[in-house]
Amino acid sequence: MLRVPVVRATGLINGRLCAVSLHTTSNKSQQELVELFIDDKPVQVPPGTTVLQAAAKVGIEIPRFCYHERLAVAGNCRMCLVEIEKQVKPVAACAMPVMKGWKVKTNSDLTRKAREGVMEFLLVNHPLDCPICDQGGECDLQDQSMAFGSDRSRFVDINYSGKRAVEDKDIGPLIKTVMTRCIHCTRCIRFASEIAGIDDLGTTGRGNDMQVGTYVEKMFLSELSGNIIDLCPVGALTSKPYAFVARPWETRRTDSIDVHDAVGSNIVVSHRTGEVLRILPRVNEEVNEEWLSDKARFSYDGLKRQRLITPMMKINGQLQAVDWEDALVAAARSIANVSANKCAAIAGKLADAEALIAMKDLVNKLGSESLATEQRFPNDGSGIDLRSSYLLNNTIAAIEDADVVVLIGTNPRYEAPLVNTRLRKGYLHGEQTIALIGPDVDLTYEHEHLGESFDVITKLRNDSHPFSATLKEAKKPLVILGVDQLTRKDGAKILYETQALAKALGDNSKAPQDWKILNILHTNASQVAALDVGYSSTVEEIKEQQPNVLFLLGADDANIKKEDFPNTFIIYIGSHGDVGAAIADVILAGAAYTEKVASYVNTEGRSQQTCAAITPPGLARPDWKIIRALSEMAGITLPYDNLNEIRFRLEEVAPHLVRYGNVEPANFFTQAFEIAKQQSGESFLPDPVDIKHKTLDQFFMTDVVSRASLTMAKCIQAVIKQRQSAV
Amino acid sequence: MASQAATVVRQVKPVLSVNREDARRKVLKLYKGWIRQVPTMLLSYDIPKSERECKQKIREEFKRHAHVTDLRLLDHLIIRGQMELQEVANVWKPKGGLMYYWKETWEKKPTDFMSKFLSGQD
Amino acid sequence: MASRALLRQCAIGINENNLGWSRLFSNKSIEVEKKPAVRKNFQEAGLSEEETEYLEALKNPITVTDENVGYVSGVPEEHIKTRRVRIYQPAKSAMQSGTNNIQFWQMDFDTRERWENPLMGWTSSGDPMSNIQVNFATKEEAIAHCKKMGWEYYVQKPNLNQPKPRSYGINFSWNKRTRVSTK
Repeated sequence: MLRVPVVRATGLINGRLCAVSLHTTSNKSQQELVELFIDDKPVQVPPGTTVLQAAAKVGIEIPRFCYHERLAVAGNCRMCLVEIEKQVKPVAACAMPVMKGWKVKTNSDLTRKAREGVMEFLLVNHPLDCPICDQGGECDLQDQSMAFGSDRSRFVDINYSGKRAVEDKDIGPLIKTVMTRCIHCTRCIRFASEIAGIDDLGTTGRGNDMQVGTYVEKMFLSELSGNIIDLCPVGALTSKPYAFVARPWETRRTDSIDVHDAVGSNIVVSHRTGEVLRILPRVNEEVNEEWLSDKARFSYDGLKRQRLITPMMKINGQLQAVDWEDALVAAARSIANVSANKCAAIAGKLADAEALIAMKDLVNKLGSESLATEQRFPNDGSGIDLRSSYLLNNTIAAIEDADVVVLIGTNPRYEAPLVNTRLRKGYLHGEQTIALIGPDVDLTYEHEHLGESFDVITKLRNDSHPFSATLKEAKKPLVILGVDQLTRKDGAKILYETQALAKALGDNSKAPQDWKILNILHTNASQVAALDVGYSSTVEEIKEQQPNVLFLLGADDANIKKEDFPNTFIIYIGSHGDVGAAIADVILAGAAYTEKVASYVNTEGRSQQTCAAITPPGLARPDWKIIRALSEMAGITLPYDNLNEIRFRLEEVAPHLVRYGNVEPANFFTQAFEIAKQQSGESFLPDPVDIKHKTLDQFFMTDVVSRASLTMAKCIQAVIKQRQSAV
Repeated sequence: MASQAATVVRQVKPVLSVNREDARRKVLKLYKGWIRQVPTMLLSYDIPKSERECKQKIREEFKRHAHVTDLRLLDHLIIRGQMELQEVANVWKPKGGLMYYWKETWEKKPTDFMSKFLSGQD
Repeated sequence: MASRALLRQCAIGINENNLGWSRLFSNKSIEVEKKPAVRKNFQEAGLSEEETEYLEALKNPITVTDENVGYVSGVPEEHIKTRRVRIYQPAKSAMQSGTNNIQFWQMDFDTRERWENPLMGWTSSGDPMSNIQVNFATKEEAIAHCKKMGWEYYVQKPNLNQPKPRSYGINFSWNKRTRVSTK
C-alpha cells in the first residue's frame, strides 16, 4: 500500500504501460525495431510509429488536442510540438514517424515555448467561462493551460472589440453546442466521417473565421452521436440531458456493463445522491473500444420513470401496492399446488444470469421444463445444445480482420452499433467487402446488396450467385446472421442453411484454423446467458401448454396478452411497469441493471458483470433474491443465500458464466451441422427477409428502460422532424 | 512477490511472545488478572451484573479468540486486553463502556435470508 | 505517542512481576512517571536467568505462517466477512485524453444501501467502507493486502491497450478508403 505519488512513480513499470510494451514487442518481434531516445530514455518501436506513440510507450505523455488514438491523424492543433535534436524546427509528434537514433526532447525550453505559444493562441479566442461550462473539471484545455499556459496575458483588447464569437448550432436533442469554445481540433468531424460514417460535419471559413458545423442547418443524427461529446477536448460539445447537472469531481463512478444490446459495452455509471446522472463508455479494446451507442448512453433517465417501486397484487381486478410478505404469500400460494408441467417462465431481454438460473431452478423444482426467452430461438435442428450455433463465434474484435463479410437479415447499425463500427473499421482500413442479404438499408459503408430472399444463401453455397466468386476468394470470410431471422417459423432451416454456407466456405478457404466463419448476432442482452443456462422452450409452446402459473422475468416484448392465458396466474418480476406488468396478477418489483451485481453474457459469449451503482428504488429488490424468497415462501427453498452461493450454482451449470471478462469459445461446428442436417429437406417460407430496425427512429426504443426514457422520445421526434423537413 | 509473502512462512520480529507456551502463559496471566479484578470492579462500577455474569462474560470474550494461533496476533490481543483491564481497574472506562461488552442495547441484524430480504438489508 | 507509552507500559505489566501490577493499578500517574529511572537499574541488576533468556529470545525472529491482520485491525467483523473487494485498474475517463491517473491498481468495496435521509433529504449510507479506495502499484500488492485483511476479493480483468502504428500519410492515399473527405 503506497501513497499515490509513489504509486505513480512506480506504476509505469508494473502498470498498464508495461502491458502495452509487452504486447507490441511480442507481436512485432520479427520486425526490425527502430531505437530512439525520448528524454534520454531509450525506446524501441516498430518503424512507422509516431513520436507520440513512442513516447507513450515509455510513459511520457505529450499534450495533444487534435490527436486521438482511434481517429485519423490530423496534426492541426500543434500542441504536440516537440524538439528533436539536429532539427531546425519543432516537430508535431502526433504525425511524425520515428527515425533511428533520434533524440526527442519533450521537456526542453524550445518544446515548452512552442507549447506555450500554441496555448496562447488557443486561449486568445477561447471564452473564460469555465465556471459555467459543463466540461469544467474534465477539460483538456483547462488542464493543459494549467501546465503550459502563460502566467500573464498579452491580450490587450483596448478597443473592446471582443473575442471571437460563433453562433451555436442546433445539432439535435443530445448534443449541446457552444461553438465559441471550439478550438478547431476537428475530432468531431473526423469521428463523424470515419466512425459514424455520416459526412455531416465539416469546417467552413479559414483563419480566425473558421467554423465547425454542418453548413446548412441539420441535426447530427447518428446512433453514435454521443461519442463526439467525449471526444471534444473542450466544452464546445456537451451533453444536453446532462447540462448543468453535476461536476465530475462530485460524482461517484461505478464500472458496469450496458444491457441495451447484446454487445455488452463497458460503461461507467456516474451517480450521486442515489441517482444515475450520466453514463460514459469505458475502454475495452475487445468489446466497445471507446465508443458507446446513444441508446446506452442517454436512456438512463428511463431508470427513474415508470419504475415498479413496490410489490403489487391484483385485488378486485385492480393492481394495488402491497407488502413483500403479502405479495410473496400470494405468489407462493399460487405455485404451492401447481401440478407438474403446469408452470412456465418467460425471460425478458434484460434478465441477468443469476435471475435466470434461480428462475430455472424454481421452475424445475415445480416439475416443469417450460422455460422460454421472449425472443424465439429454434429448438429444432441443432438447437441450443451446442454453443457454436448461437454465438458470434469469431469475437467482435476480430470482425475488423475479415476480408469478406456476408450479413444475413441483420442491420448491425441499429441492432449492435458497436459491431457496425468494427465492420466500418474493416471497410476503411482493411478494404473489407461487405454484402447484405435483406432489405437494403444504409449501413454507413458501401455494401453489395445480394437480395431479399433466403434462397440467396443456398445460391451462395452452390456457386450459382455472382457474389460466390468473391466469397470463394476470401481468405477470412465471415457470415453474420441476425438472430431476429431465427424467430421465424423456418428459423431452424435458416440456421441450417447458414451453417451449411459457413461449412462450405470453411472447407474451401484458406482461413486459419481458429477463424470461425459462422456468427450469430444477438440483439438481447439476456439471450446468450439464457441459452447457456438452458432456456430451451419458446413462447408459442408455452401458449399451447396453457400453464397454471406463468413467471414473466422482465418479459415485456414477448408479444403476449392476457387473452392468451385466460386461466393462468401471471407473476411478473421486473423493474418497469410496461406491457408485462400490466397483465400480471402479482408484481414483484425488481432492480434495473444499474442497481444490482449481475452477470451478463454478450453475443460473443463473453461473460461480464455489472456492479451496483445505486440502491433499487423503494422496496425493489435484486431479481434473483426475489425468486429465492418466493421459493422459501413456497416451501421449496433454493439452496443459495448470497451472491457467492448463487455464483457457485452458476459455475456448476456453466463455468464460463463466472469467468468474467473472458470469451469462452464454442466448438463442435461440424457436430452442430450434422445435427442440423435434419432440416435440410425443408424449404424456406415465401416471405422475404425482413429486419426490425431499418431507420434511426426505430433504434432508440427497444426495451423497457429506453421506452420509459424522455430523451429517447425526443430523439425519435428529432429524427422524424428531420425526415419531414428534408422532403 | 508480496502475495507469496502472505501465504509463505515468514521470519518476523516478535512483539511479546517468543513461542506458543510463552503466549499461553501471558494469556492465562491476563485472564487471572481479569477474574481477580471482578470483585473490585463491581465495587467501583454500579452495573446491574452479578459476579458470576461478569466472570462468564470474561470467559466468553477470551473464548471468542480461541482460534487465533498467530503469535503476533495473540500478542496484540493480549496487549489490548491488558489496556482494557487497566482502564477498568483505574475506573477510566465509563459505566456505559463496560456495559458495552454485553451489547444489550444492540439491535440484532437479521441473519437469515428471508428476514434480510424483507428488511431490505444485504 | 501516548498510546505507545501505554502499550509499552502494558507490555511491561504483562512481563514483569507484581511490582508492575501494583503500579498499574495505582492511580497516581506521577509515581509511574518517576519510576523508570529507578526501574532501569533494577531491571538490569535484578534479572533472573529466565528473564535474561526471554530478553535474548525477543531479539531473534520468530516464524509466522498466515497473518490475519484484519482480525485485530479494528475493522468490524461484519465488514471483513461480508464484503467483496474489487481489485481493478481505474478506467481512463472517456472525457479526457490524459492517462496519468490510471496507471496503478485500486481496490474498492461492493456498494451497500444508500437512502435518502428523511429529515434533510441528503443521501445517507451506513457503510463505513463506501468511501475507501486504496491505490497499489501492482495487482499482487493489492491481493496481498486483501489476503492479509481477510477480505474476499476478485480481480477485474484489465483492458489491454494495443496501439496500432498511425500514419499521417493515409489521409492522402489515392487508392485507399482512408482518404479524408472532409476537413
